[in-house]
Amino acid sequence: MQAKLLLVEDNELNRDMLTRRLLRKGFEVLNAEDGQQALAQMRQHQPDLVLMDLNLPVLNGWEACKLASDDPNIAHIPILALTAHALEQELEKALDAGCKDFATKPIDFPSLLEKIAGLIHS
Amino acid sequence: MSSVSIPKALSSQRIAKLNDLLLADSERLKAYNLIEESQLLRDSLLKLNTGSSRALDRHDLLNHVTSACGYAEILLEELDTHETNELTANLSELINAIRELSATPGAIANSNQSYKTETAKAIQGTILVVDDQTENRTVLKRLLSRVGHAVFTASSGESALEQLNSESIDIVLLDLSMPGMGGKTALSRIKADPQLRSIPVIVISGLQDMDSVVECITSGADDYLFKPFNSVLLRARIAAGLERKQWHDREVNYLHQLEQREKFIRATFGRYLTDEIVSDILEKPEGLRLGGDLKEVTILMADIRGFTQLCSQLPPEQVVSLLNGYLGAMTDIIMRHNGTIDEFLGDAILAVFGAPKDDPDHAQNALACSIEMQRTVATVNTQYRSQNLPQITTGVALNTGTVVAGNIGSDRRAKYGFVGTPMNVTSRIEDLCEANEILISETTQQALPNQDQLYDRGLHQLKGIDLPVRVFGVRWNR
Repeated sequence: MQAKLLLVEDNELNRDMLTRRLLRKGFEVLNAEDGQQALAQMRQHQPDLVLMDLNLPVLNGWEACKLASDDPNIAHIPILALTAHALEQELEKALDAGCKDFATKPIDFPSLLEKIAGLIHS
Repeated sequence: MSSVSIPKALSSQRIAKLNDLLLADSERLKAYNLIEESQLLRDSLLKLNTGSSRALDRHDLLNHVTSACGYAEILLEELDTHETNELTANLSELINAIRELSATPGAIANSNQSYKTETAKAIQGTILVVDDQTENRTVLKRLLSRVGHAVFTASSGESALEQLNSESIDIVLLDLSMPGMGGKTALSRIKADPQLRSIPVIVISGLQDMDSVVECITSGADDYLFKPFNSVLLRARIAAGLERKQWHDREVNYLHQLEQREKFIRATFGRYLTDEIVSDILEKPEGLRLGGDLKEVTILMADIRGFTQLCSQLPPEQVVSLLNGYLGAMTDIIMRHNGTIDEFLGDAILAVFGAPKDDPDHAQNALACSIEMQRTVATVNTQYRSQNLPQITTGVALNTGTVVAGNIGSDRRAKYGFVGTPMNVTSRIEDLCEANEILISETTQQALPNQDQLYDRGLHQLKGIDLPVRVFGVRWNR
């Protein structure tokens, strides 16, 4: 079965680029541009995994993660943070907010694919 | 904001090179269905490149880096990796450079700034869409209006040029094949017009027209897009074009400010010096050095008869407006005859002809100037009458001789001025003038090719001068 991913990214080129790469690998890809849209898409489409940039407009990634983990309808959906923040404290902050894993930008695509596979199968 | 030094592989020359390779390899990219990705790579690189030339927000820089790297990787993965050619080698090099850049400690990876609540807003502009097909125009207009751009449309090259001349357009999307004036002709017209040249033009064509695209880029198009449009690509292209236009506009604005300053300098100095001297000073600041030359010049002195007495009878404001009216009119005349005003001393004018710029006709010019000055006093008097100011009469004296000309004074205060006996002689001759009279010295008389207007006023023993000086009067018609 084709896994359904939700990609949350406000930068249009990055969203387009990652979507193309994931589509080429056979995933179904949904898009959202901010935290609020992300929550709405999660509720409506129940993706298998969310790839979420944390620096987002309207509602940022950390808050969206917290709100998602408080919502029983979507709390089970794993979230993988896409982040510029390689600092340990930033990563901890992401994990505290409920992210299951993270990938730093620029994305190492093979390792991202491994992480996605791991999260979907667990 | 720390600036990030961009590795060599990301330098603008390398990126331009990669652009060329992508364009040259378009057939293969097309076969692999990678045209869009290759164009999006170009866009990301362009953004990275313009970003590196100024302080760029780390968040933005990182986004450009990420997308450029990602698109490059897509291309590399999809192209046959066993086949190494210049393009794949360049792509690998690029990817490595980007990875290196992002791994540099303190460069971009460890940004810990929080997200700006105001996301940098995409630049919005006024776009002219030129396409003969109604559907294309409608689709583009809708796509672009939705993201906040103002959109004008034109269905032919002719009407595009018309709109460009009447509206303030930031960027042109130009279809190549149109009936009547086609895209290529319109492009060359735009690029040949100094008023329009700076407006970025994005050429739109079908994939089969690769040759035309290359031709258009050579003749000045800034970018290209293939039909059917990919909306992400379209928006990215337009954003890049608008950014270029904005930088260009800023440059123009800066240039304008410089011109204003130069105008200001000209206006300030121009009150005292002719345009030539001001240009000289502006062009070679070493001209401001103190020092002097010996020059043969004709000196002009003029004053208002009985001015001191006039002053005592008038309130100060009237004295000033009387003086300004007179001096203003005389200044114009002197400058028109290539004279340099050395000084105003109350009502007295001291001007020199033949310096700082050599003028072989300095005596003749000075004489013509004196006559026009005397004639103009009549006009000035008409004005004074309507302002209830008293009537004036003037005397003008000319003398020709060798003086020291140069920047005279101290470091703190210096002016272009003149010294020498001929200056004093002129002043003494001026004292001899009757109302409405022009008197010239014998040296000036000898420098004049035509003596018809002259009459002998005899020898005069001048105060402070050893030998008597012969003086001539000038006949002039009102």
